[in-house]
Amino acid sequence: MKGTQLGEFEELVLLVVGVLFPEAYGLNIREEIINQTKRKVAIGAVHSALSRLDEKGFLESELAEGTHERGGRRKRLFKITASGKQALERNHELRNTLFNQIPEMALKIV
Amino acid sequence: MGLQPTYEPPKIAVKLLSLVCKNNLFEEIEGDLYEYYQSQREEKSKRVANLHYWFHMFNFIRPFAIKKLGQNSNTIIMYRSYFKFAWRGMLRQKLQTSFHLLGLIVAFCVCGFIYSHIKYESSYDSFLDNADDIYRVAWMSENPQTRTPHPMAQALVNDFPEVIDAVSISPIYGPGLTKTTIPLRNEKRDVGFSEPNGYFADSTFFDVFSFKAVEGNADKALRKPFGIILSESMAKRYFGDEEAVGQTLSFMGNPDMLEVAAVVEDAPKNSHFHYNFIISYVTLKSLQFNDPWMSWDDFGHFNYLKLAPGTEAKAFEAKIPDWAPKYLDWGEESLASLKAGDLKFELQPVQSIHLHSNIRWELEANGSYSYLLIYGISALFILLISIINFVNLNTAKAAQRLKEVGVKKTLGAYKSQVFSQFIFEALFTTFLALVLSFVAMYMLEAPFNQLVNGNVSVADLYQADIILLLLSIAIITALLSAIYPSLYLNSFEAGQILKGLKLSKLGGNNIRNGLLAVQLIAAIVMISGSLVIKHQITFLKEKDLGFKQDNLMVLEVDGYDPRTKLVKTELLKNSAVSGITAVSNIPGGQFNQHPIYAENNPSERVDASEMFVDDDVAEVLGLKVSDGRMLSKAYAADSAGRSFVLNQSAINQLNLTDPIGKQLVWQDNENLVKGTIVGTVEDFHFRSLHEPIRPMIMLMQPLNSNFMLVKVNPTDLSQTVSKIEADYKEIIADGQFSYQFLDTEIQDLYKEESRTLKLITLLSAISILLACGGLLGIISIVIKQRVKEISIRKIMGASASQILWLMNFKYLLIAGVSLLIAVPVSVYFMKDWLSNFTYQIGIDPLAYVLTAIAVLFLIGFTITLISMKTVKSNPVNALRSE
Repeated sequence: MKGTQLGEFEELVLLVVGVLFPEAYGLNIREEIINQTKRKVAIGAVHSALSRLDEKGFLESELAEGTHERGGRRKRLFKITASGKQALERNHELRNTLFNQIPEMALKIV
Repeated sequence: MGLQPTYEPPKIAVKLLSLVCKNNLFEEIEGDLYEYYQSQREEKSKRVANLHYWFHMFNFIRPFAIKKLGQNSNTIIMYRSYFKFAWRGMLRQKLQTSFHLLGLIVAFCVCGFIYSHIKYESSYDSFLDNADDIYRVAWMSENPQTRTPHPMAQALVNDFPEVIDAVSISPIYGPGLTKTTIPLRNEKRDVGFSEPNGYFADSTFFDVFSFKAVEGNADKALRKPFGIILSESMAKRYFGDEEAVGQTLSFMGNPDMLEVAAVVEDAPKNSHFHYNFIISYVTLKSLQFNDPWMSWDDFGHFNYLKLAPGTEAKAFEAKIPDWAPKYLDWGEESLASLKAGDLKFELQPVQSIHLHSNIRWELEANGSYSYLLIYGISALFILLISIINFVNLNTAKAAQRLKEVGVKKTLGAYKSQVFSQFIFEALFTTFLALVLSFVAMYMLEAPFNQLVNGNVSVADLYQADIILLLLSIAIITALLSAIYPSLYLNSFEAGQILKGLKLSKLGGNNIRNGLLAVQLIAAIVMISGSLVIKHQITFLKEKDLGFKQDNLMVLEVDGYDPRTKLVKTELLKNSAVSGITAVSNIPGGQFNQHPIYAENNPSERVDASEMFVDDDVAEVLGLKVSDGRMLSKAYAADSAGRSFVLNQSAINQLNLTDPIGKQLVWQDNENLVKGTIVGTVEDFHFRSLHEPIRPMIMLMQPLNSNFMLVKVNPTDLSQTVSKIEADYKEIIADGQFSYQFLDTEIQDLYKEESRTLKLITLLSAISILLACGGLLGIISIVIKQRVKEISIRKIMGASASQILWLMNFKYLLIAGVSLLIAVPVSVYFMKDWLSNFTYQIGIDPLAYVLTAIAVLFLIGFTITLISMKTVKSNPVNALRSE
């Protein structure tokens, strides 16, 4: 098993999966990321991140019924797992803690 | 939303994705891309949407999505295990493996080198544009020659539409047709050399020969009188990096006589002639140079034609006899033999000159087709021997793998899978050998070129056709070696094998022995052939030439320079110099020739090579005067060039009896020189031994001396040479002192022979070593199967020598049969080869006796060596376990 660290892009994808619950799958995750962050993201990049998150156990997935606009092909719907939730919380907490430790001075100068 | 028709994404992209994408991810990925494509098509043009689709498709080529090789494919896993088997098998039997590989590598290397050499030798002049349509006009008579009349080229262009371009050229010859050097000098920089390889040429030179101009306009350069064209390397020597065009050169002491009109690339190495500089015939004509040399009477120029594409050269050639009499001022008789075809103008394709022409006055030494043939055949023999080795050893090894096949079959392997495994392993070995042989060739390239004085370049082998050929050889070898064992081993039931089936006999003995015989035949033909070749070449090199060639220094001199005489008297004072003679031509070089005939019998005329000599030529060269006397300045007629000395061949061909005192006419072009025969000399080989001795006439014309032959004392040679140089420089301060030794010059005539000798010795040694190595491999396997038999025989009381004889007998028998077949084949081909030579030593039976003894001995030695261990070991050890 690879390390259970959460990369920056992975975290983003993981969050968006949560946002889109229960309808999160490759293409609409990408759209959501583009809309929210204005980043250019290839479909392949999203799938790649999803598969890594899946390997790390932060996501679980199931195949939904195929739809007409997909030419009858099924899509894979993703859900956050418990350990995914933990990882998100851990990251969130870590950031907050670190942010709170920055002395006021430092922020003022900027 | 109803069921609208959907847009189909680009099919190729989808197909491609399905090929590389993991199966379990394919559906969702394709679905996403499909959906994405629909939305793109709603908004954008089809082209843009397709582009996007492609972009995202390629974006999926990432580690997570693409199929992992071998992970999901049984086939891949299987081949991977084959690879492991092959590799482990090779490591297990290191000696056998390295022999396997070595044999193939050697064979591939030899073939690569020889191929490259043959390719180079047969690539002469193919670099010319329209090389297929360029021909040289040669003159075919009893003694064929390259040279034809100067006006012929232009006359052919004018009279025949199929001749597009034609050019007449000639090397700048010294007196007596020696290759001369011309003193050229750049006065401004004070650089001057005696420049070899100067040519006269028509202004159409570059229409026929597509050499490219580096500087200036080559086409126009030859139209101007006193223009000179330099080769690139020569321009560099005289003008450095300056622009050469427009500068002047002094020509034979005439200051700034020639203006450089163009600089042209050097002729490639594989050109049949090389120029340093070219001067236009226009220059000669502007000098009112009214020499018969430029007329139809003198066959003294090299004429090249460019025919219209698709012209049938032979058909065109046939038109010449009807056309030429218009220009040739000949008697009825000669014209009749021209019509009859006894005399003939022949068109030689320019690309065939190097290997196939080899007639009088070639511009440069030609190659030899018959030697190339020998190289090629030898290389093929070695390849054959090596392939047979590989096949034989692989089949002999088959029995060792019986158990492995049994287990495989039990586990469910199909016959085809066992088969493919054997093929795979053999392919693995041959391909490995192929790759390693290229590595080896790179390492051996320089030493090989040095050894045989060759121009082999491994880089030339990287061509589709050669690579394809090598690959197919590797594949065929592998297939041949794998077919037998896989079929044979496949024929057993798995259960049978595992129950303990013992191969009482290794199958395929007859085939193997047959192949062994083929190998031996090839090796015997090569060895005996190389011995015969060696005999012939040694014979050529050591034959008494009829004159003494040792310790003779050849100085280049200028007969027109009055100081040359002084040089002779001065050098004679040197105690280390025992004799000097000034001559126009040296033995081994080129000779001019003109007809001679006895005055009272003008119809009986022969072409005689001429040599202008002075008093001492007989002593210095050690010529034997058979009748009369040699020429001497003491006689006024001798000095005037009206006394002749002929060689024995001339006397014979003129049918002269009692020649001394007879009047003879020497026809120097239009100039009929009448004189008296004062002496005859015994024949000596003034040309190489590739040619018969032809008639020769010697007379005195001191102005035409080109060389001084100086007989020196061999002790303290370097000091003598420097003393001679100092003396020479004292008299002729502005000249160049250049010298050779006559014996090395003569050795140079047999360069091709020396190379062949080295190469053929090397190749035949390789062939017999490979053949013996193969035998060794087979015997070592065969003997393992006969260990029990040998042990029982020993127990029953057989002696070691009896057992050795038993082991040897069959193979010696095979060798004997091979000898019986190979010797007549070899004799037949060597006789044929020897017939190319004017002077042959004939076939020495000793060569074949030696070959037979060597082959039988080597085989006996190999077998005895390998059987000794088994024969000597204690029989109990072998019999104890069952």
